[in-house]
Amino acid sequence: MPHPFPSQIPVESYSTHPMKPTLFQKASLLIAALTAAVSLQAETVKVGVLHSLSGTMAISETSLKDVLLYSFDEVNKAGGVLVSGKHYLIEPVVVDPASNWPLFAEKAEELLVKDKVAVVFGCWTSVSRKSVLPVFERNNGLLFYPVQYEGEELSKNIFYTAEAVNQQAIPAVDYMLGEGKKKFYLLGSDYVYPRTTNKILKQYLKSKGIPDSDIIEIYTPFGHTDYQTIVAEIKTFTAGGSATVISTLNGDTNVPFFKEFANAGLTSENCPVVSFSISEDEFRGLPAKALVGHLGCWTYFMSIKTPENKAFVDSFMGWLKAPKVTGVDYNVSGVDPKGRVTCSPMNLSRIGVHLWKQAVEKAGTFDVDKVRDALVGQKFKGPTGVVTMQANHHLVNNVFIGETLATGQFKIIKTLNGVAGEPFSEKFLTTK
Amino acid sequence: MAFLPSITKELRPGPVKDWSPALAAILLLVLCLVQAAAAATTPAPSSARSTLARVIFSPDISEQATLLRGLIGSTDPGVEAVLTAWRGGSLFVHDNPDGSQTAFLLDPTTDGDGHAQGLSILDDQPIPGPDAKPLLFSPSELTPADTTAKLRKAIKNTLDFMALGNPDPRFRKDAVVKLGQERNLEYLPLFEARAREEKDPEVSRRLAEALALTRTASPDPAVRVPALRTLGELRSVTSLSFLQSFEKKLRDGPTPPNDESLLAVHKTVLDIETYQQRGNLIGTAFRGFSLAAVLLVAALGLAITFGLMGIINMAHGELMMVGAYTTYVVQNLVRSAFGPSGLPLETYFLVALASSFVVTAAVGLILEQGIIRFLYRRPLESMLATWGVSLLLQQVFRHVFGAANVQVGSPSWLSGSLVIQDVLFAYNRIFVIFFAALIVLGTWSLLTRTSVGLQIRAVMQNRAMASTLGVRTDRVNMLTFAYGSGLAGMAGACLSQIGNVGPGLGQNYIIDCFMIVVLGGIGNIFGTVTASLGVGVTDQILQPWLGAVMGKITVLATIILFLQWRPAGLFVTRSRSLEG
Repeated sequence: MPHPFPSQIPVESYSTHPMKPTLFQKASLLIAALTAAVSLQAETVKVGVLHSLSGTMAISETSLKDVLLYSFDEVNKAGGVLVSGKHYLIEPVVVDPASNWPLFAEKAEELLVKDKVAVVFGCWTSVSRKSVLPVFERNNGLLFYPVQYEGEELSKNIFYTAEAVNQQAIPAVDYMLGEGKKKFYLLGSDYVYPRTTNKILKQYLKSKGIPDSDIIEIYTPFGHTDYQTIVAEIKTFTAGGSATVISTLNGDTNVPFFKEFANAGLTSENCPVVSFSISEDEFRGLPAKALVGHLGCWTYFMSIKTPENKAFVDSFMGWLKAPKVTGVDYNVSGVDPKGRVTCSPMNLSRIGVHLWKQAVEKAGTFDVDKVRDALVGQKFKGPTGVVTMQANHHLVNNVFIGETLATGQFKIIKTLNGVAGEPFSEKFLTTK
Repeated sequence: MAFLPSITKELRPGPVKDWSPALAAILLLVLCLVQAAAAATTPAPSSARSTLARVIFSPDISEQATLLRGLIGSTDPGVEAVLTAWRGGSLFVHDNPDGSQTAFLLDPTTDGDGHAQGLSILDDQPIPGPDAKPLLFSPSELTPADTTAKLRKAIKNTLDFMALGNPDPRFRKDAVVKLGQERNLEYLPLFEARAREEKDPEVSRRLAEALALTRTASPDPAVRVPALRTLGELRSVTSLSFLQSFEKKLRDGPTPPNDESLLAVHKTVLDIETYQQRGNLIGTAFRGFSLAAVLLVAALGLAITFGLMGIINMAHGELMMVGAYTTYVVQNLVRSAFGPSGLPLETYFLVALASSFVVTAAVGLILEQGIIRFLYRRPLESMLATWGVSLLLQQVFRHVFGAANVQVGSPSWLSGSLVIQDVLFAYNRIFVIFFAALIVLGTWSLLTRTSVGLQIRAVMQNRAMASTLGVRTDRVNMLTFAYGSGLAGMAGACLSQIGNVGPGLGQNYIIDCFMIVVLGGIGNIFGTVTASLGVGVTDQILQPWLGAVMGKITVLATIILFLQWRPAGLFVTRSRSLEG
């Protein structure tokens, strides 16, 4: 199947890199240097963006590409990355792995070996991350991963700015237990993230005294449209009124599910649904009415009222209208400024860029091993408060539970401050 | 009010854990207010309205809950209307120039542009603008007043108490069920009083259920045991989960095995479970039929173009997508012409259904004339060509409408469901079943009862012979393909009510469509009907046991095995057309 957008920026067009200039380029650079002010000369550093711009994941991942370019622009505007007295401007290398998992590995290899990028920001699905992991380990690259995931993984070459299970699923379930819910219907798409998350949740619920008979675990294939049986089952399950649905359904299967759910007379009042895969960005493609009152749990909501968040949202919206990356010869294309929102993976992508910049400046080099050491303990004041990178490559972050409004935004109903991300479930399951 | 003194006597703590003093207070308040209303016949509506405004603008949830409780006895019908609107997200807030805020509802009458006056909740008068003329609001630009689930629950509770006196039996029923689940002994006199007045049989049944369920909370076995028996006689599905845990609690406790309560609850649970199993059977059958109808609607067009005409039409799914997008466009046109609600939007779907037939038939016509007619003798090439067309159509739609899914709304008569004996029949599913029956009947009549149908069958059976007998085979081919495509378009319109509308819509259904047609036997419409019924019902029977994923795998594996045994499908049609 061909893809809607061809790979937007052919990687070959980056041959004009100042580190390996041709004779002609050297000459033109010299002329430029002689004619223009010397201060205009700045070193650049190549940074990879590995997000699908075509195929099924394009809808979600294109927004991350946008926010990454915005963050590069933000860094460059402030003078770039300062390494031993020299300013390096970020030069993006954007590739399109086209929602194709093996292609992710190929493109990652290309970024690391051919373009020699200093760092890569990318991946959405867990399967794409698993596909590039050996490439990063083999070439000792550095990857920042911004999307909530199932944990049980820790690579020295990956930094997970994403929500770990104990920063999303566990707080949400805790909240539901606190609301007096006693029966849990775990519904998910059939792949690694929902299955692993639900496995952990089941153990967790059991440790909280919920019997097996009050937990139902169900999976549906991608693109499933027939939710009649499942909704009928939920209806019976919730007849006593103390049940809740924990949904890890992905993408547009949410539409037939929520339509069927509403048709059966179920509402957020008699059976609330907590969805882990619906953020503000996904909401743009869903029927708002059917989702009102259901819950989400993230480390960021667009509706968070802090000056930092207002500044981020305003400046990002402004950037979308005239997208550019300051200081480098890079043409931003494919940005649609209409009806845009910010969401947790976008915020975490941006935080990743800033943490990396700070770590490079602390290490005084782009060398991966030194930057990795410098990253641990790095703090950044983001839209939701200060985040800290831990030695386990996960963030300490604030967690929010929000209720969906008809506008596609979330009303925050509970805040948990400073939750330390922990990838391995046995650690947070045993510590009571 | 004769029962009033007796309630207070019954106010002793029972074995119920979720004893709720707040609700007791509510009840007492109701009674007090009812009494007050009886004594002084003029409750001031304005005070209720100003309390309402305070509830809406209070930032504190517990204060809101207290104020809401105060509203329960209000006789002003406006209070209920405002609360209902608030809960449903159609109460709005206007920022006055002086910095204060006014909550308002939209006037149901709109002007030509869909704008309406905002009626203040304080006095039902329009909100004046700077020039003293009523301000006009556009519904699409307004943001509803905020609520949270907790607040909505409090509002709902208030409304439930108010709804016990609602003239509409549906509201009374919901309220009774909800209040019955609380198992609060203090509600008994209220239920009893209501039960004496109640005329509607369904509400009476629910009242009896609520009474029995509440009485199970009584510490006195002489009250509890008959109540448990009554629940069984009433087949009370809503109390099943309570009864199950109650039975378990009794068994685990020091209760002797021949305890009367235990025996009663055991029998009741068995009765209700049997009743529920029967309901599940009917429900599964209905869901099976409904899935079968969806498959049938989707595959019928292919049964014509592939089954009868022998064209391996890989673009069939995309023709469905064209139909679905036509529905979307018609919806938007209707919305922009007649405003976001009202009769036109309720009936637009029927127009959309017809339009999607016409539009898709036209696309099919162009496809047949432009590509397929040159490839009738080369089936493999027609497969490649139509596959190319499918990709082309997907890209065109992605380009025009964007890669994201579009939202097609459902008219209210296609939302919700009919509940008979605790079995759900969703309206949109009922509609698809009827629609499937209708188009099968229509297609069958067209093929067997009209001269056009005779010509179609003649051409499909033996093109050369039909041609020598004076049938214009080219025209018949063209029209048959257009008809098959039109059916696909209507299928797309139907599917827009059930699933997603996006450029990839066709891809989700194309495999199922071919599967159904091949399984049913190529060239046999009756076979297509049987195959979709078989697949639909089997899938729904297997799903509760095996889950959606394994269910589907099992169905596919069964079909593969079946086709090994009968490669030509269920019904074999002997025809020469396929031999070229």
